[in-house]
This record gives sequence, structure tokens and C-alpha cells, in this order.
Amino acid sequence: MAATPDSYQGSGAETQPVVDRPDRAEIRGEEIVVNGVAASPGIAIGEIYLLRRDDGDADDKEIPEGEVEQELERFENAVQHAERALRSIISVTREKLGPESSAIFEAQQMMLRDESLYEAVVERIRSKCASASHAIDRVMTEHRQRLEASDSPYLRQRSDDLLEVQQRLITHLRRGELLTSVPPDTVVISQTLSAAELMLFSRRGILGCALDYSGATSHVAIMARALGLPSVVSLHNLSERACSGDLVILDGIRGRVILRPDDETLSEYQNRQQRFQEIRTEQRALAPLPAKTTDGIVFNLEANIELSEEADLMEEHGATGIGLVRTEVLLLMKGSLSQSEESQYQLYRALVEKTAPHTTTLRVVDLGGDKMLPLAHRESNPFLGWRGIRVLLDKPDLLGPQLRALLRASAHGPVRILVPMVTSLDEMTTFRRHVREAEADLQARGVPFADDVPVGIMVEVPAVALMAAEFAEVADFFSIGSNDLTQYTLAVDRGNDLVAKHYEEIHPAVLRLIQMTVEAAREHDIPVSMCGEAAGNPVMAPIFLGLGVDTLSASPIYIPGVKRLIRSISFADAQALATEALEARDPQQVRAQLREWFEMQLGHLPLGLDGQEWPERGSHVAASS
Amino acid sequence: MIERRVRVMNEAGLHTRPASIVVRKGSEFTSDFFIKKDGYEINGKSIIGVMTLAAEQGAELTLIFDGPDEEKAAEAMVQLFEDGFGEY
Repeated sequence: MAATPDSYQGSGAETQPVVDRPDRAEIRGEEIVVNGVAASPGIAIGEIYLLRRDDGDADDKEIPEGEVEQELERFENAVQHAERALRSIISVTREKLGPESSAIFEAQQMMLRDESLYEAVVERIRSKCASASHAIDRVMTEHRQRLEASDSPYLRQRSDDLLEVQQRLITHLRRGELLTSVPPDTVVISQTLSAAELMLFSRRGILGCALDYSGATSHVAIMARALGLPSVVSLHNLSERACSGDLVILDGIRGRVILRPDDETLSEYQNRQQRFQEIRTEQRALAPLPAKTTDGIVFNLEANIELSEEADLMEEHGATGIGLVRTEVLLLMKGSLSQSEESQYQLYRALVEKTAPHTTTLRVVDLGGDKMLPLAHRESNPFLGWRGIRVLLDKPDLLGPQLRALLRASAHGPVRILVPMVTSLDEMTTFRRHVREAEADLQARGVPFADDVPVGIMVEVPAVALMAAEFAEVADFFSIGSNDLTQYTLAVDRGNDLVAKHYEEIHPAVLRLIQMTVEAAREHDIPVSMCGEAAGNPVMAPIFLGLGVDTLSASPIYIPGVKRLIRSISFADAQALATEALEARDPQQVRAQLREWFEMQLGHLPLGLDGQEWPERGSHVAASS
Repeated sequence: MIERRVRVMNEAGLHTRPASIVVRKGSEFTSDFFIKKDGYEINGKSIIGVMTLAAEQGAELTLIFDGPDEEKAAEAMVQLFEDGFGEY
């Protein structure tokens, strides 16, 4: 079981495809353009700092006597990092697969501070001036040899567990070294990075970050947006093409990286970089203004938030509430999914208090996609597997404390609870029973909470849209998850390059499902919002608004662009556009309609943060939310 | 100080998971806890120590407890071994 130390962060090396994937690179003269997914907008131009796992020579066996204390500190840091990585893996494994499966990682965690490892290594560094990695190798090899000498095949195999711990420590040791030597004013390129590492880099003053793996909704991408650090992800083999010290342009708006740019490209991007600053300043002036169309219809623009730090961005970007908190991300960033009611309450309360008097919509834990799990523990078809409400209803011990914590947070400002991956009505009946139980529990303890906290459904599976009339009877609101709704409707995994081009949020089939959802919501008088990536894209916004979605929720940074668009169009025209799009035969036709419509409204497509027209399609690949 | 003789019952022997169970149980008590096998003695509160005993099914071990709660610790540990750590 080869869990990479970073597999907890939703990245890690993926299996190699059998078929060659379409190459993402275009070679233009000396220039190489690599396309990926925009993770955090902005443009960075600078020297590459390449962070490679296999980089660097093996450490010397010995260190000078004067550096013993320093070496001990390196070792201690590596142990701490390994502990943190294992904590996340244990948490996710335990919740999804049970204590049987997490036991092996818990055992590994115990080994890190075991006297036979920790103290033996410290002793070796002290008495023999051994380097930490050499000491680890010597100590663990001795232990492994004892097991490998056993007659029992079972026990011989267990030496793998020791080897895995050894590799974890060595990896974190090397990485720690690389991490602390990142120079300021560079663009960091790496296969993967954890959110914590990115935070460290940001403090050291890097300009941006480009990663081979991870998706737009991975922890590291969320952290990049919170830090305002231009970033591109899903660049596949970029780190193999890049060389430290080379000049690079990182375009976090379009989701591309340009290696060895020529003078022309360079000056074009210097202009775009300047435009970006100007546009950000202009847009910030929009923050206090309402998202009101020219014919006077006001829409609600809310923020997708995962970190309490991001909540500050809400006001600055003119969001009127939080439309989506992915609580599994919030909880994992703070250590573990199964936190006590009290510690969860403190986390939620902080967000709710910052957002009040506006509403905070919190989605209960969605363990989906399985990307955080070590490979050997993944389901064969995770997106059609045990995720969302399916997990929660099977695990009342996970759901109970979270519901009580969410309800308690409602005493501090308006709260809505959102339920992911619902596909049948009885799931909502059962869920509501859990909510009532949580309320009864709090009541018995005399703990305050708001009456009638709204409970809504994520509309992300076609089944719910098709039966929206029935679901509207059991939901207090709908939230359309455009990423998953598109992926499940069109049967496309957009993280798969072979089929990513078929991923179209404006496919008429998807639009018709959205229309059914909105229609049912209107009949039952419940609000309907949209919280996928499409919600932050001004090119698509007029269709969704025209269909009758009343709230869009996106990363704070994308809100001003959508607001600007809304303030420049008429709702009646958007409705006409939507009606036309519903009749279209394919996504190409919808795009043609959109282009024509924008031509009439603005004379061009909406402008992106770089002053260029938005692409008609979003970044072509991204991990699903 | 007291000693107890136990036999490893489960098929896979004292591998990683059972070792972690032994260590966790041993750490619940203040008494020192050692395990001896064929003249090799390790600290029973060290998971790597317990693993490197390489105690397969049928192996005979001597458990040694020394401290104020040695009786209780011995009783709990013998029980664990007799139950085969919930494995077969």
C-alpha cells in the first residue's frame, strides 16, 4: 500500500493511463505553453523554483559536530510533518472504511515516536554525528532485518510497514530541506503541494505556484485563493519540462503556464498583469453596490468559503452571505473529520458571526471522490459510490455531533444546512429525523439554537432534478451543484483528458434539468441557488439567471466579475436567452447564441480579470467538487 | 515483579495491528512491561519492539510486569493474548 505522504491533500500521483493522453503543451519556437486549470487568479512572471521529490543527492552520512542540534531539529520537524500527514489519512480512512483499515496508519503513527525509532535515531545523531536520514536508515534497516529473518510469511511482509514509515520520514526530511530553501520572488513548480506548505511559501514571498496534480477544489487551490496567490493546477508533466532558474509566466486567470516566453509574449503578459491590478481596483469599487440588472432585478451573490481566513474576503468582494461551506474541507484543514460537537461549534460559529446578518449555508460532510484516500483504499467507482448523505446516514456518530454543532451555530446568525448527494426522498425523511433528534438533545441540555433552521438539498444528480417537484416538498431550498450535475448528466469525468472536451455546463440537457429544478422551486416557493464553478463565470451567468436561479455562489474573487456583468444586462433579455438555449440541439448552438447575445448586450464577450475576453468555455479540466 | 507465559493464538502472529493493540493496552498501566522470546527481550510499550519480536502463531512469550499495577496489567494482557486480538 503505497500511500504517498501527500495523498491526504487530494492529490498524489495518479495511475498512468494506458492510452496516451492528449498533450497539454503547445510548442511555439522556444516557448512552451502548458494548459491546466486556473486555481487562483493573477499573473506571475519570474524565475522558476522547481521542487522535485527525487531532487538532491542523498544526504551525507555524517554531519559536522557543530550541527548536531540543527540536525535534531530537522528530524523533529520531519516527525511532526509525518504525524500531521498521517492524522489526515487516519481521519478519512477511519470514517470511510472503518477502524480495521485505519489501524495500520494508527500503528505507523505510533512508530514515529516509538523509543526504538525516535530515541534510537536521536542517539545515533548525537553519538555518531550521523545525518538524520542516515540514522533513520540504519535504525530502521536493523529492525526490518529482524522481521525479514522470520519464518512466517505474514511477519516478513510486515517489514513493509516499517519501510513505509522510514520512507515517510525521509520524504519529509528532504522536503523540509527544500521547503525552507525556497527563495522569494520565484514561481514554485512542483508535482504536489499541501495547503500548509503553500502557506509557508507564501510567507516567504513567492510569486505564484504551478502544480502537476490537484484540482480547482483541492485544499491547496482553496488555500491559494485565500492567500491571493496566482496558481494553476492539473498541469500534468509540467514539473518534468521545467528547469529551476528559467523564466516563466504563470497565468492564473486562463489556467496556463508559459515556459521560456519570448519577448513578445513577455511584454503582452506584463500588460495583462498591469490590467489585472487596474481591474481588481475597479471591481473593488463595486463591492458595496447591489447585483442589480438594468431593469431592476436584484440577485444575490454569495461566497464559497472553506477557511475562516477567507471570510474576510467576503465583504471586500461584495458577497452578501456564504452560499457554500464544504465542511469536510474546513474540518480536515483543522485536523480531523470527527471533531467533537464543541470544537465544530467553535469553527462554524466563527464563520456565522463574521457573515451575520447575512446567511451562512453549510454543507454537511461530503466524503466523496475518494481522492484523499491512499490508492489501495479507494472504491472502484467512487463517484458512483459511498459518498455524501449515503455515508452520513450509515454513520450517525459522524452526523450527530455535526448537526448539533451546526444548530448551535444558528444561535449566532442565520444558518442553512445543505445535504449533498441526495437521490431519494426517504433519505431526506431520515435526515430530518436526525435533525429533530439533534434539536431534542440540545433542548434537553438547555443549549440555544434557532428554530426552523432551513434544510436544503444539493441538486447534483439528475434524479433530483427530474423529480424536483417531489423533492421541493421535503426541502427548504435547492442548491444546484453545476460541476457534479454536469458530470453525472453527461457521464463525463472532466479530470480525464480523454473525455474532458465533452464536459459542457451549458449542454442543453443540463440546462433543461436546471430549468425543471427552478420551476419546481418556484411552485413550492423555495429559493434556488447555484454553487458550482459555472456560477463564477460571467459568460454563463446570463443563462442561469435567465432560467430563474436567484443566487449564485462562487469563490469571493470571482464575485465582482459576475456582479459587473449583472449590472450591465437586462433580466428580460437574459430570460429570452435562456428560453432560446433550452431549445438548442447541442452545446455548440448554445455557445453561438451566447456570443450573439453578448454582441448585442455589450458588443463583446465579458472581460476577464486580465482585460481579455472570457473564454467561451471554462478551463477545460478541473477536479470535481 | 510478576511473569506470565502466553502463546500467540492468531494465524498471522504478532504483526503490526496486534502489536499496536498490545502497546496501547500496556501503556494504560504505569508498570514497566517487557516481553521475552527466545532470550530476546523488548519493551512491551514500544510498537517497533513488539513487531521485531517476530512472534508467529504458536510462539511462546514471557510477559514481565513491574510496578504498582502489575497484577492488573498482567491480567489485562493475558486476556488480550487469549482472545487472539480479535483475529483468528
